[in-house]
Amino acid sequence: METTDILAKCKNGDPVAWNQMINAYSKAVYNIALNFFAERDIAQDVTQEIFIKIYHNLDKFREDKNFSSWVFTLSRNYCIDYWRKNKKYFLHTQELDEKLSVGNPSPEENLINESEIEKLRENISQLEPELRLILILRDIQDLSYQEIAKNFSIPEGTVKSRINRARLKLAQAFIREGS
Amino acid sequence: MNKKCREIQSLLSAYLENDLAKEELEDISSHLNGCSECLGKKEKMEEMIFKLSDLQEEVPFFLKNRLLNIPDMIEKKKAVASPYFPKWFAAAVGTIILFLNLFYFTNIFPPMNREVHSVVSSIENFFVKTGGWFDKVKESKELLFFTFFNKKSVESKDAKVSQNITNEKDFVKGGRNG
Repeated sequence: METTDILAKCKNGDPVAWNQMINAYSKAVYNIALNFFAERDIAQDVTQEIFIKIYHNLDKFREDKNFSSWVFTLSRNYCIDYWRKNKKYFLHTQELDEKLSVGNPSPEENLINESEIEKLRENISQLEPELRLILILRDIQDLSYQEIAKNFSIPEGTVKSRINRARLKLAQAFIREGS
Repeated sequence: MNKKCREIQSLLSAYLENDLAKEELEDISSHLNGCSECLGKKEKMEEMIFKLSDLQEEVPFFLKNRLLNIPDMIEKKKAVASPYFPKWFAAAVGTIILFLNLFYFTNIFPPMNREVHSVVSSIENFFVKTGGWFDKVKESKELLFFTFFNKKSVESKDAKVSQNITNEKDFVKGGRNG
């Protein structure tokens, strides 16, 4: 079934079409939220809120536009809004994390892949929101520069320079931590 | 960090993705051979790009269930939704009540204070009158019930009372006589 068909059926309240929509987009949206906030509980709530928003706004979606970019734009806007609304909380937890993780990780910790992933997520969550999202879409979701440029309505060159900035900042953070 | 290092680092992503002209690639390679700082960043960046692809996760099953239930959840909410009550209306009503209280209990604007007091007293008068009217209705209602339902019992009560009175009179008479 094509996206337009799925959308038309979703608008008419077809549960099978909604199921297909969830299967097609839930992983991408969840991974954006998870890597943006680096907290599972928040990522799950945010994913749910994004899909509620999608459901409410299905009628507003114009069919001449690309649905996946619409979903990405909606997810991006929601993540940034949520982050701005709860900025104090996120900055406070970042400070706490920095205070708690004094010194280098132990050798046992280095062996555990899971903790490495968490560390990586934590460092991503400390980037500026726009850089963070572009990095997630490029290096985690594997979107092309062109697709990102289209989703964010910015020139491809800007996407490339932002990706470079985000990667550099991340690399510097890891070098500083000595991991 | 000198100017050259800054320039090289701004091109590191493009260098790693082989997205540069041959001359630029060679220029960066030769710089990296002689600059440990830039080389360290390039290696770290390479390692990270590789690791970042591991950050994809499957959606937990309970979250997927929650997402699948969204249409049902929204429809149920719509079914029990309370009638629409605009926020601006509530705010306006609240503000008016606040100002009325202010004018009633303080004398910051005497004409308004007098006006509010006269309105309140007229409302009181109205309630007093309607209260009287309600009492009248209540009384008439009682009379109505009295005429329809309690007539017999009251009649019998009255008969008993009159009987008692006559008995008492007889007793008094008898007492006098006897």
